[in-house]
Amino acid sequence: MIENFIQNYLNHPKTYDEMFLDSENYRNHYSNFIKNFSKESLENLNKKEELAKKLFMSQGITFTVYDSGEGIEKIFPFDIIPRIITSSEWLFIEKGIKQRLKALNLFLKDVYSNQFILKDKIVPINVIYSCPHFLREMYNVNVLHDIYIHIAGIDLIRDHDGTFYVLEDNLRTPSGVSYMLENREITKRLFPDLIPQCGVRSVTEYPAILYKNLMALSPRAVSNPTIVLLSPGMYNSAYYEHTTLARLMGVELVEGRDLVVKNQKVYMKTTIGLQQVDVIYRRVDDDYIDPLVFNPNSVLGVAGLMGAYRKGNVAIVNAVGNGVADDKAVYTYVPDMIKYYLNEEPILKNVPTYQLSNPDELKFVFENINTMVIKKTNGSGGYGMLMGHAASEQETEEYKLEILKDPRNFIAQPTISLSSAPCFINGKLAPRRIDLRPFALNGPDGISIVPGGLTRVALKEGSLVVNSSQGGGSKDTWVLTS
Amino acid sequence: MPIFKIKHITNYKYETPVRDSANQVILFPIKDDYQKVVKHDLNISGSPEIEIFIDYYGNEVGTFTQNEPHTQLKIFSKVCVETSPKPLPQDDMFGNEQWNRLDALKYEVPYIDYLRQEVFEGIAQLKETALSIKQDEDTPYQTAIKYSAHVFNNFEYIKGVTAVDTTIDEILKLEAGVCQDFAHVLTAMLRLTGIPSRYVSGYICPNRDGMRGEGATHAWAEAYLPEYGWLGLDPTNNCIANENHVRLAVGRNFADCSPVKGVYKGGFEHIMEVNVSVGYNDEDLNDNETYFKPTEVNYSKPSATVTNVRKQNSYQQYMEAIQQQQQQQQ
Amino acid sequence: MLSRVASSLYWLSRYVERSDGMLRMLKINYASSQDTIQEFTWKPIIRIFSADDENELLNIQHDSRAVIEYLLLNRENPNSILNIITLARENARSVQEHIPKDLWQCLNEYYHTVKDEKLLWYVQKDDPITALDLLIKQVMLYHGTADSAMERGESRSFMKIGKHLERSIQSVDILDVKFSSVSTNPDLLTDIAYWKHLLLSLGGYELYLKTYRQGFDAKNIIELVMLNNDFPRSALYSMNNIERYFNRLKSESNIEHYNSLSFKIGRLKSMITYSSVSSMEEESLHNYLTEMRSELFGIGNMLNEYYFANS
Repeated sequence: MIENFIQNYLNHPKTYDEMFLDSENYRNHYSNFIKNFSKESLENLNKKEELAKKLFMSQGITFTVYDSGEGIEKIFPFDIIPRIITSSEWLFIEKGIKQRLKALNLFLKDVYSNQFILKDKIVPINVIYSCPHFLREMYNVNVLHDIYIHIAGIDLIRDHDGTFYVLEDNLRTPSGVSYMLENREITKRLFPDLIPQCGVRSVTEYPAILYKNLMALSPRAVSNPTIVLLSPGMYNSAYYEHTTLARLMGVELVEGRDLVVKNQKVYMKTTIGLQQVDVIYRRVDDDYIDPLVFNPNSVLGVAGLMGAYRKGNVAIVNAVGNGVADDKAVYTYVPDMIKYYLNEEPILKNVPTYQLSNPDELKFVFENINTMVIKKTNGSGGYGMLMGHAASEQETEEYKLEILKDPRNFIAQPTISLSSAPCFINGKLAPRRIDLRPFALNGPDGISIVPGGLTRVALKEGSLVVNSSQGGGSKDTWVLTS
Repeated sequence: MPIFKIKHITNYKYETPVRDSANQVILFPIKDDYQKVVKHDLNISGSPEIEIFIDYYGNEVGTFTQNEPHTQLKIFSKVCVETSPKPLPQDDMFGNEQWNRLDALKYEVPYIDYLRQEVFEGIAQLKETALSIKQDEDTPYQTAIKYSAHVFNNFEYIKGVTAVDTTIDEILKLEAGVCQDFAHVLTAMLRLTGIPSRYVSGYICPNRDGMRGEGATHAWAEAYLPEYGWLGLDPTNNCIANENHVRLAVGRNFADCSPVKGVYKGGFEHIMEVNVSVGYNDEDLNDNETYFKPTEVNYSKPSATVTNVRKQNSYQQYMEAIQQQQQQQQ
Repeated sequence: MLSRVASSLYWLSRYVERSDGMLRMLKINYASSQDTIQEFTWKPIIRIFSADDENELLNIQHDSRAVIEYLLLNRENPNSILNIITLARENARSVQEHIPKDLWQCLNEYYHTVKDEKLLWYVQKDDPITALDLLIKQVMLYHGTADSAMERGESRSFMKIGKHLERSIQSVDILDVKFSSVSTNPDLLTDIAYWKHLLLSLGGYELYLKTYRQGFDAKNIIELVMLNNDFPRSALYSMNNIERYFNRLKSESNIEHYNSLSFKIGRLKSMITYSSVSSMEEESLHNYLTEMRSELFGIGNMLNEYYFANS
């Protein structure tokens, strides 16, 4: 019985729990799941957890952690209890992300051409011109269909009253979608029949939509364009995801050294000679993508690629230069972009953000540092953050000195408590903090978001950091049909 | 109105054949009121297709690839340029007024790019030096002239102590360098004082006395002055860069203006020879070797793809680099 | 198929084949070293399987355990089983979506077996044959899996070519080393143990006994190792296979490259087919084998250039 598992399910104070209203009552949309789940014995659940681990390991769904030169393959921890989202919540999220993405895409087009938004002083020009990801090489480059963001991962969190906030936009090479797909496959094995009974919407369409969008980007009018997935290679921690997506879409998985540029066209080297490449879905960062134009020491990119791109002979997904739109200092202005470009009120809220390059805000943040989270504007993966409430005095002081060296590189946000969801931990249900990263695909036919996403979990008790590099795990994410 | 005939040869020689090279040249003289291109021939070994585009800073940039194995890449640019002097600034506006005007440009494109100085260790100290040189009543013009003289007087012109990627900190420590380093220090000083400043690459076409910077491409700085526009300052020769300086490109720094750069696969070592000669007579553009000045050859190691650690072979280095970079990508 | 993928499959297969040959040689030689009253020398083995540091190694040539440890597990030795299996696995890892999952798991297990600390203990303190057998079993599992699970297409052709190229180079090397000892020490010509040992190393002892009834004779041994098409480690057998699998790569889009490599393979095959033992000995066996080795390397180089895009 469910009661057996939820004894002492302690709600974090002032926290929105996805499943429980209070210590006795659960939210309606979990009722189907609970009905089935409560029939399971503890022994069975433990077995299921074991099975999940085994499935991940044997399928090689691993990421590699490098420690003193030796690679250790680890699985991304998976919690067997799905996170459930109602259809009305999803409608809201979907609408909000579409709106946000539309504005961000218009912003990229604008900032790399007319710069109206800068001339009208909606976004301060120095925020853009001091952003290392604002690539002057992209200025006036024609991007097919004016689509810059083909794939986005928007990180959402919920405050104590359940309100959704956008924590960050990932518009460069967002990762994690393979876990969204694999988590669902695993759940199908763990809880047979449960998914149809609960009316869970399918996520399997993702590779097909992405493939269709990539096909539509081919600059050559040929019936069978060559699409490749450009991976940094097998030592990259997300290599598993690259092979999975390539396999699911039936496209060639290539590395930089497989490609060559000849007279402003890109080719891949095959056993029967050079074959022209039309679309590159790249998982290599901008700085590494073309050693002729960017980092000259890069061996992951293709020399001359930018020339072919500028000439319109190859499509690159996501576009080069997107980093200027997901920079954490630029993030602050996304609601203004929505108003400016779309003349609409933002549907999804931003977390209040302080720009440390502004002396007043810097002063305020330093005075209230214990209630703040400070992040690097170009950081990701949870690295280099300061959690004000948890840091020691010394850590805080050292971090302050780091900030003062170049305040432009930092922003601060009030600590948000993040919603919690029950996880199966040591034979009991225990609340852990979660976020949600839905994946949006933007093509000539518009924006589509498969109903679901990656729910990341801070598995450490009390932790607010969900990144896998910081001990986070994930859950299957269910969006209900009604 | 001087007419200069410039021959600029860049010659890469590789120990063993290389292939799949991608290259970029910024060798097209700027065309404006003070500079006219009468004729320009650009010859590249293997006769690749050259694709030309205009970059963010307004420079003409050529790119080409060379995929077949080759042991040499020779880029031969012959230009005939007619220059005319730009009148010097009147500088008759009150200093204060001028400084205020510059301040108002702070957040305007393109000046914002030419005012922002990348952070470096000694930035505060250099700013202090710059501000101590400037008198309160100095106009931006006077200040710029003083800075140019300061760089000329305080840095020694020595070839070979710096490379294309030498940082400002290193130059300040060495107190020496070549034109590129002089230009980098001057642009930094101007920017830190609030005067927009660009890096310029080009050729120096000396009078018969000879000047520093011959034999190779030259570099200097430009300062933006209210009501005047861009003023060329050559800190290597302590003079105004005017009709004797032929401009190829402008940008924030050397990296934006690099005259010739390329990346290739294979090979191990290469040498690059650069030879620039300037003549004044019609026959100077002919292929007979009567150049105005005895030629001088610069040997330097470009930074691209060649590393100097020879403990491992280049394949091992390459594989290690691959592995490291793959791990770094998020 | 991507050149890099073809290259990885080819090298993965060459490395596994190399490890196979080495392990068998080590096993037979170790057994012989236990079966001799004179001091046993590992010199020929060292000369076949380690490219550099030969002098240093000759210091340990009489210490069986040290030699086995060096050839099996030394990290500094680029040709040690540990290092070549690591390379085989890396190659497999980078082409995971082109090989059956079973084959990948097989190589993965082989790799973990080599890395197991138990192995060193067997080599240093206990019975080294146990260590060798553990590894030989892994190779056999690999061969079986590859044969039954690998799709019959371009991928497999590149693997087969790699395997047989490696194998023929090994056979040529072994023959060359063994016969060059004979030229400096003619007594060996009549040394039964010497020849038996050679045949065992190549796994051809039993076939030899069945084929030739009149005892050990140098000519017959050369014939078996070079020209016997029923002997799976003979040069001719390998060449036939190289030719067979290369023919399957024929494609109109690179016909020029195909033709020139096809010609080279055909020429080498004819050179072997239309040789006789006496014609080989006429121009000196060593010269003959040297030429053959350089032709085999030439095939590898052309594959590298035409099919693997030098990668």
